Amino acid sequence: MLSPPPGALSSLISTRHEYDHLFGIYVPIAIGVFLTILLVVVGAVVIFHRRPPERAARWHENNPVEGTYALVLACVAAFLLYLTFSAEHKVDTVANQQHPSVVVFVTAAKWEWTFRYPGYGFSVRSGTVGRQPLVVPAGEPVRFMLTSDDVIHALWIPAVRYKHDAIPGSTQIVTLSFSTGVFDGHCAEFCGLRHSDMVFTVHAVRPASFAAWARSKGTAAVP
Amino acid sequence: MSVATAPRARLARRGGWPEALTSTDHKQIGLNLGACSLFFFLLGGVFALILRTQLAQSNMQVLSDNSYNEIFTMHGSTMIYLFVTPMAVAMATYLVPLQIGAVRLSAPRLSLAGFWTWLAGGLVMESSWLTADGAGRTGWSSYVPMSNSTNTPGVGQDLWVIGVILVALGLTAMSICVTVTVARRRAPGMALLRMPVFTWTALLSVLMIVAAFPMLILAMTLLFIDRTGAGHIYTGFAGAIDYQDLFWFFGHPVVYVMFFPYLGGAAEAVAVNAHKRWFGYTAFVVSIMMFSALSMAVWSHHMYTTGGVTNQYFAFTSTLLLVPAGIEYFDMIGTLIGGAIVLRASMLFALTFFLQFLVGGLSGVFVASPVLDYHAYGTYIVVAHFHYTLFAGSIFGFFAAAYHWFPKLTGALLREGLGKLQLAVMVIGTNLTFFPMFFLGNDGMPRRVSRYPTHPEWGTLNLLETIGAGIIALGVLIFLINVIVSLRRRIVAGDDPWLGHTLEWATTSPPPPLNFEAPLPPVRSYAPLLDLREQQLDRERRLEGAPA
Amino acid sequence: MRGGAIAILAWATVLLVLFIGNWIWDAKPVNAATAAFAAVVTYATGVALWLARREALRPGPPAPRSEPESVPQSSLAAVLIGLSVGTILFGLAWANFLVYFGAGILVLSLGRLVLELRSERATRRRLLGEEEPR
Repeated sequence: MLSPPPGALSSLISTRHEYDHLFGIYVPIAIGVFLTILLVVVGAVVIFHRRPPERAARWHENNPVEGTYALVLACVAAFLLYLTFSAEHKVDTVANQQHPSVVVFVTAAKWEWTFRYPGYGFSVRSGTVGRQPLVVPAGEPVRFMLTSDDVIHALWIPAVRYKHDAIPGSTQIVTLSFSTGVFDGHCAEFCGLRHSDMVFTVHAVRPASFAAWARSKGTAAVP
Repeated sequence: MSVATAPRARLARRGGWPEALTSTDHKQIGLNLGACSLFFFLLGGVFALILRTQLAQSNMQVLSDNSYNEIFTMHGSTMIYLFVTPMAVAMATYLVPLQIGAVRLSAPRLSLAGFWTWLAGGLVMESSWLTADGAGRTGWSSYVPMSNSTNTPGVGQDLWVIGVILVALGLTAMSICVTVTVARRRAPGMALLRMPVFTWTALLSVLMIVAAFPMLILAMTLLFIDRTGAGHIYTGFAGAIDYQDLFWFFGHPVVYVMFFPYLGGAAEAVAVNAHKRWFGYTAFVVSIMMFSALSMAVWSHHMYTTGGVTNQYFAFTSTLLLVPAGIEYFDMIGTLIGGAIVLRASMLFALTFFLQFLVGGLSGVFVASPVLDYHAYGTYIVVAHFHYTLFAGSIFGFFAAAYHWFPKLTGALLREGLGKLQLAVMVIGTNLTFFPMFFLGNDGMPRRVSRYPTHPEWGTLNLLETIGAGIIALGVLIFLINVIVSLRRRIVAGDDPWLGHTLEWATTSPPPPLNFEAPLPPVRSYAPLLDLREQQLDRERRLEGAPA
Repeated sequence: MRGGAIAILAWATVLLVLFIGNWIWDAKPVNAATAAFAAVVTYATGVALWLARREALRPGPPAPRSEPESVPQSSLAAVLIGLSVGTILFGLAWANFLVYFGAGILVLSLGRLVLELRSERATRRRLLGEEEPR
C-alpha cells in the first residue's frame, strides 16, 4: 500500500462528486439534443405535410454536410470521453492510492453481507440474518475488500453513486468516501431467491465516534 | 425470369395448414416465424403484466420470490429470444428477397429447418414451466455461477439452457439463408449500393447473427456441460468473467439485431410517407456499418462493475456509437425536409420510433460512461434505458413496419383510425411505464427485486408504471382487433397503396409464389419505383410545355 | 465503390482494428477467439459478395434464363430435421430415450432429404429436355 500523498484528505476522491459532475454535463446535453430533434421533426412535419406528392423535393444526398456533421459528433464524443476518462481515473485508480483510514473486508453470500473490520477484530452482518449496520468514518477514505462465497453479488450504496461486483474467487479493492449520514445499501446483482432481502444500512459518522464504536468491537450503540 | 412451369403450377395451389407448415416459400416461412413470435410477444406481455402487478406497491404478495424470479427471467427470455430477434429475422426472410427482386430464398430447406428448430427451442424453453422445480429463473443472461447446478438445480433451468441453444441454432440457420440470398440472388442492376435501406439493415442484422450467435451456442453448451456435472469449465473468478465475455459477445450484437430491421422498417415508412427517397443513402449505409462494427466491440460495457475488463476501451467504443446514431437521425430529418408528408399510422409509428428511441439512445450514452454506470448498472436506470430502446423503439418500429407492409402481406389495408388510436394509447402507456424508471433507478431501486423499501414516492412511481403497463396492453389489444377486423372486412389494398419506392411494391399483394410475374422494372437506384414515377412526371411536364 | 462488397470488407477491417485495439488494451484468449471468429465470418461474407457481384452489376433488363429455377414447394424433410434436432437436445435435459428417438428421426429425415433432392434434380432434367443434359 502506498504511503499517503501529501494533502490526501483535502484531495479526497468522492464517487458521488464525480457522478454528479458528469451527470450535470451529460444530462443537460441529452435533454438539449432531444428537444432540438423533437422540435425539428415536429416543425418539418408541420411545414411539409399535405403537399401533393409531385411537389416533394428530389435532392437526397449531401455528403459534405454529413461529413462535417459526423466530425462535430466525433468532437462531442471526444469531449464526453475526456470527461469520463478523467473521472474514471480518479474513481478507479487515484482513489485506491489514497491511504485508507479503515479497511473493511466485505464478504457477500446468499443472502447476507459480512463486514469484517480486521484492524479491530470483529465483524457485523446484515441481510437475511439481521440488520447490523455497516459503520464507517465520514470524510476519510474507506477501503473495501470485496469477495463472495457463492454467486456474484454487487455492493451498491446509492448515496455514493457507486457499486462494485463481489465475485467468488477474487478479492476486489475499492475505496470510497462518505459524508455523515445514514444510507441504504443493496445487492445489485441478481443472486437468487431472496435477492430482494440482501440489504444493509451504512452509518457514516464522525471519525471519533467511529473509533469509539470500533474499539467496543461493535457492542456499543451505533453512533 | 423464365421459370419452370410445372413447379409453379403446383405452387399456385395453396393448400391448408400441412402445406403452410412445410412450405419452403420464404414468404410462408417468414409469416410462420412472425406469427409464432407474435404469440410469444403476447405471452411475454402477460408475464410483464404479472411482474408489474407484483411491483405496484412495495410488498404486494402477488407472487412468491421464486415465482417472481421465474417470471422476470421468462419475460426477458421470451421477449428477446422468442419475439424481438425472431421477428427481425422473420421480416428479413419475408422482405429481403422481394426487395432485391429475387424469386426465392437461397437454401430454403435450411431456413425451414431453422424455423422448426427455433420453434422447438421456444417450446422447450416454455416447457420449463411444467417441471416440478419451475422455469428458468436466473435472468435472460443467466450468469454463472448463479446458473450452475449447485446454485440453481433442477431440470427447468436445464430446459431453459437447451431452449436457448435451439433458438440460437435455428435463427443462425435462417440468417445464413438471408445472407446467401443477398449474395447470390439480387436482380440484375441491384448492386449492393442500390439495395433498399431495409435490406441493408436486415443484411447487417443477419450477418451479426451469423458472427455472434455461435458464441451464445458455445456459452450455453459449456454451461449445460457444467450443469450435468461432466465438466468444471466455468470455475472461479476467471470462469465467471469468461462466461460474461462469451455471453455479451453475443449479447451486445443481438441488441443491434433487435434494432436494425426495425430501424430499416421505420426508415422505409418515413421515406415512402414523405414521398421522397431516403436522404443520405451512402452515409447511412456507411454509418450503420460503423454501427455494426462498433456494436461488436462494446460487449464488456455490460461488465464495467466486474473489475475484470478494460473499462476505458469499452467506454471509448460505446461512446463512439453516438456518431453513427447521429447520422441516422440526420438522415431521417433530411428525408422529412422538403418532402410531401402524409401522416398515416405507419408514418406516426415511425416518427415515434425515432423520437422514443432517442431517449433510449441518449441514456445509452449516459450508461456508456463507466463512472455513471457504476451507479446505473443493475438498477431501474438500465431497465428504463433498454426498454426505451427495445419497447419504445424497436416495437414501435415493428408497428410502423406492420402498418406499412400489412397490405403487401395480406392484400388488405389495416384500419387507419384504429392505428392512430393504438398509437396514442401506446405512447401514453409506454412513457408512463418506462419514464419513471429513470427516477426510481437514480433514487436507488435495484432491478430484479420483487419487493422494495416503502419510500412514499417509490410507491407512487411504481403504481404509475403498473397503470402504464395496463395501458400498453390495451394498445396491443387494439392492434389485434385491428388485424382481425381488417382481415374479416377487407379493404382491398392493391399492389402499391402507398406509392412505394422499392421492388416489393411492383408485384401483387400478396405476392405470387415466385414473387414477380410481371417483368421487374429497371433498377438504377435504391428507389426504382420512385425513379419510374419521377420519369413519368418529367415526361408529363415536358408534354405540357412547362420545363421542369 | 459500385461493387458494394468493399463496404462489407471495410466493415470487417474496422472490426479487426477494434479487436486489435481491444487486444492491445487487454489480451484475453476468450476475447481473441470470439473476435477472430467474428472477423473471419465478416471477411468471408465480404469476399463472397465480391465474387458474386458481377451478375447484379450487369445493366439492362434481366436476361431470360435457359435453366429453369427449381423451386421446392415444400419439404417435410427440413421440418423433421428441425424437430429432430429439437428432440435430441430436449432429450439431453429430459429423458435419454428421446436422444435416440430424435437421432432415429434425424437419420430418416436426412434420407428423405436425399430423395427430395434427387426428385428435384430429375424434374429439372425433364424440364430441360434432352438437348441440354447436365
